[in-house]
Amino acid sequence: MEEIRVGGMYFSLDLSLPLYEQVLEQVRSSIAKGEIALGDKIPSVRELAQALKINPNTVMRAYQELEREQLTETRRGQGTYITSDIAKVDLIRYRVADKAIEEFLSKMTGLGFETPEIDKLLRIKRGEAHE
Amino acid sequence: MNDTANVAIRAEDVCKSYGSRQAIRNLNMAVPAHSVTAILGPNGAGKSTLMRMITGMETPDTGTFSVLGRKPSWELNRWIAYLPDRAQWYSHHMVEHALEWARTLQPGFNEMRARDLMVTLDLDASMKVEGMSKGEEARLMLALCLARDVPLLVLDEPFSGIDMISRERIVAALIDSFSEREQTVLISTHEIAETESLFDYAVFVDKGVAVLAGDVERMRAERGSLQQVYRQLYG
Repeated sequence: MEEIRVGGMYFSLDLSLPLYEQVLEQVRSSIAKGEIALGDKIPSVRELAQALKINPNTVMRAYQELEREQLTETRRGQGTYITSDIAKVDLIRYRVADKAIEEFLSKMTGLGFETPEIDKLLRIKRGEAHE
Repeated sequence: MNDTANVAIRAEDVCKSYGSRQAIRNLNMAVPAHSVTAILGPNGAGKSTLMRMITGMETPDTGTFSVLGRKPSWELNRWIAYLPDRAQWYSHHMVEHALEWARTLQPGFNEMRARDLMVTLDLDASMKVEGMSKGEEARLMLALCLARDVPLLVLDEPFSGIDMISRERIVAALIDSFSEREQTVLISTHEIAETESLFDYAVFVDKGVAVLAGDVERMRAERGSLQQVYRQLYG
């Protein structure tokens, strides 16, 4: 999977999974990581579709969802901007973090670890405990 | 999808034979309006026959087609921009003449858009059609199709045998075109890997039958990429 940089955001799309969800997720994560700053303009639907070589409808759907979540706002005739409300971005940061934790836990459970062991391994990793 | 407003092309139990060879056998499909739909399948699956029937160049032996709510005909073709799989050109023509021809004979031809497309597709108006590479010729043909303000665009193998750079330019021109207007687009292609991200609906054809059709994002969720589905079906 090729990583594509568009206006500060990074995308890497897997054609075997729905593209809409990936575009949405990757813009959210760019916002959460601060790759794109509060109040910044994001690429137009056409620009992003061109950069990712995907159907503009897919980008449009993802942008509509971001707007619905109030992470972006469209100013008539000017384009789409990231919200300047830090509380909204923080909420997304926690949501992205929550998802990362869930993925981590599911991987650990898959390897046969249970909660006390996982806790211990995390403490060891942070240097708070010894093997 | 029973509403003609939601369906741009509908085929019902269509059959077509050439002598003893059955090119299309009881084919059924419904192409959603304003979708970018792929017609996929191996050589000889019946893709070009299907497109020629949609544009009224061939008539089904049995069954019916409804295109933009009407029966395919020459009359209906004023609403369709069609790129056939085999192009025929007057070789003494220059690109400029091709534009003139399109302006005179092609309903809905938008010359300003055509000139913009020539820039995107890196074509020069003073070029002679004779001596053009296959890629240049394909780009010219596509420019003439995309420059028409019509509700239906039918492209038969627009990428086959075309170099990578021409193909990328064509993809870019298509994405621009999809962003600018609401048009139903039907594309048959073998180049699935490079083009599958463009489609929102796909019809897989095998031996004259539509074996699978559906929303591409749903196929991705349920079965993987179009390339993977293609391998599952034909591999």
